[in-house]
Amino acid sequence: MALFRLYLPFLDDVKAKGVKTAVKAKVDDVFTRITTGMNPTDVRMMLRDDPVGRPNPRLKPHSESFWFHIKPTYYHQLMDGFYPTFRLGWLSTYFFVFEIVTGIYLMIFYTPSPVVAYENMRNLLSNVPFGALMRDLHKLGAEAMVAVVALHMLRTFVTGSYKKPRQFTWVTGVILLGVTLFLSFSGYLLPWDQLSLWAVTIGASMVEAFPPEIVGRTLNLIVRGAPEFGANGLLRFYLGHVVLLPAIGVIALSVHYYKVVIHGHSLPPEAEAVGEDTAKRIPMESRTYFMPKIMTRELAYITGLTGLMILLAAFIYNAPPLEAHADPLITPLHITSPWYFLWLQGMLKVGDKVMWGVILPSGLIGVILLLPYFEVGPSRRYGARRIGLSAAAMSVAALSILSFMGSPWYKVTSSPDQEAVAALLPQTHPGPLREAPWDQLAFGTYQADQWASAPTPALQALLRLYDDKLLAAVGPEQQNPEAIMLVEDWQTNLKKVTLRVVWTNPDGSPHEFSQSVYLHRDSEYSGG
Amino acid sequence: MTEAASPLPAEAGGSLPLSRREFLYYLWGVSMAVAIAGAAGATIWFALPRFKEGEFGGVVTVPVGELPPPDSEPQPFSAGRFWLVNIGEQTEQDPRQPPVYPLTPGVKALYMVCVHLGCLYKWVPTNDRFECPCHGSKYLKSDARIDGPARRNLDVFVIEAVNANGDVVGRTEPQMGSSEGSSVLITPEVVSLRVDTGRKIVGAPNLKPGGGI
Repeated sequence: MALFRLYLPFLDDVKAKGVKTAVKAKVDDVFTRITTGMNPTDVRMMLRDDPVGRPNPRLKPHSESFWFHIKPTYYHQLMDGFYPTFRLGWLSTYFFVFEIVTGIYLMIFYTPSPVVAYENMRNLLSNVPFGALMRDLHKLGAEAMVAVVALHMLRTFVTGSYKKPRQFTWVTGVILLGVTLFLSFSGYLLPWDQLSLWAVTIGASMVEAFPPEIVGRTLNLIVRGAPEFGANGLLRFYLGHVVLLPAIGVIALSVHYYKVVIHGHSLPPEAEAVGEDTAKRIPMESRTYFMPKIMTRELAYITGLTGLMILLAAFIYNAPPLEAHADPLITPLHITSPWYFLWLQGMLKVGDKVMWGVILPSGLIGVILLLPYFEVGPSRRYGARRIGLSAAAMSVAALSILSFMGSPWYKVTSSPDQEAVAALLPQTHPGPLREAPWDQLAFGTYQADQWASAPTPALQALLRLYDDKLLAAVGPEQQNPEAIMLVEDWQTNLKKVTLRVVWTNPDGSPHEFSQSVYLHRDSEYSGG
Repeated sequence: MTEAASPLPAEAGGSLPLSRREFLYYLWGVSMAVAIAGAAGATIWFALPRFKEGEFGGVVTVPVGELPPPDSEPQPFSAGRFWLVNIGEQTEQDPRQPPVYPLTPGVKALYMVCVHLGCLYKWVPTNDRFECPCHGSKYLKSDARIDGPARRNLDVFVIEAVNANGDVVGRTEPQMGSSEGSSVLITPEVVSLRVDTGRKIVGAPNLKPGGGI
């Protein structure tokens, strides 16, 4: 009557060999299945780095397991050290995974709506255990990833590793660079504070410049979901940040790494004859096997780097505190796009949007993308590539200069009163006044030019900066300029600080500008 | 159309005849390509935002009493995303005004967004001009760019001046071809202004330091 019969060969084994032997054999069997082909003795010998016999059991996981089949069985000894890769490709992958993991944690407490996004962030930062740590980790990882990916590209260019047969690997790498930049950029909007909104507004305005006008306008509407950022734009950026871009990233990364493995890691340029590519023909004596050396080392990197990131985020690095809630009607003074887009802003200060903001950057990306298909010189040696390497050095220099030009120090000045006040109370980051020790802000009225007589060192430093900035900003139009700071006791543990700038206009009329800020003893700026 | 006579693949010339099966596959491929293109178009249409009546993008009515007096400071109208400026004699004779842009007395509605990279410029009374806090573009009250990375004058919205009977007695007309809006003179019979925030006149090109083409 049985519908099916249970057959357990293990029970037969127990009968035949006794419980102890049978259980041991069974445990070995399960272990070997988990390691896809290595029994406990094989694993122990591998970890001890004992000589291996034939057939080599350490190759089995590479052919049978999904995760190990992705990794090469062995590497060239020359690729064993820090040079020439500097582990930058590996690091890029590490940060990609790191960002996905920390990002999933952040998603738990985040809703992409202008109504609650900012409140969610506040809650995450002040109520959720380890919430601030998670945000710091995600932000630090993002900044590191942009830097690492850019350096990876620079390294690949310098060692000539984009040359035949690795052209398409380079193309997928450029796509990954784009994904990295857009991931960082889209994440910028999500906290929905003033910095998010306006930095991303500036960046997204480039889209609008796309010629012809109808295309630019349509693209802009699709990206923002409205003429300006609001609920639609936030939701679209969120979906891009958590779904679309990571998906493109995973696909491009898979292709990229498949190509890396299939062509082999390109050797240092000086290690092979000009025009030859020997990465796939590694002589027996120059092989470093993945197991155990590379595997254990990568595990050690993951452990050490993750520990380092946590230490940095916990004790040294703090993601910038939230600014005021996003306000679509007020643009803060001196706002800029994120640092990795400053070069683009620098170009946009030089020329018009269409030429310098769209055509030139697109052309540049096109040239970089197709570089390996027209730069076909056979030699990867540094000495034979003077023009290419000079061009790379000049590009790095040009990017640095353009980035400076994109910063507020270059050609963005408002009136002297606003500049002097913004030196103490900037609108884009906490700044010296908010970060000053709260206890040292003694009550009273102070004149900046008499900073030396202020009662506390912190006040002296603030007033001196205030005075310097005003003197640097005023011209002959402003007669008898005076900068005044007023510190008042407003409520228990709350001080009101007013910054006031007065002068006499050329026609004799008085001019006054003032701005106030309320500082709490327990605010997150000064550390109380 | 006949079946391939020879089973041998063509060596180097493409003499392999097109079989019916192959042809139908290509036809299917083309139809799939058309379907995907259609789906892409539909996706763009799907993703385009739709505007409701009464939002920014519609007509905003401003009674004459709320207008700034001639030559006074510009008045912001945040809901409609524009500044109303009233150009009087003093503004007209401002020496900073680049002479290439014609200027007549009356009211203009300036779109609040900087034509450079989309920040909101603000009125700085100390310097008697609009200044953009992001990249430092500077504009006069008249909408003329005088400095900074912007490459054209401010955009303006079309204004209609309406009298007590509801008749339109004056409106913003394009000048300098189609790239600069004129100001609307406020005569005593005008009771209100209708600012159409859906109709934007793009500012005239303005590239030189200090302003001018």
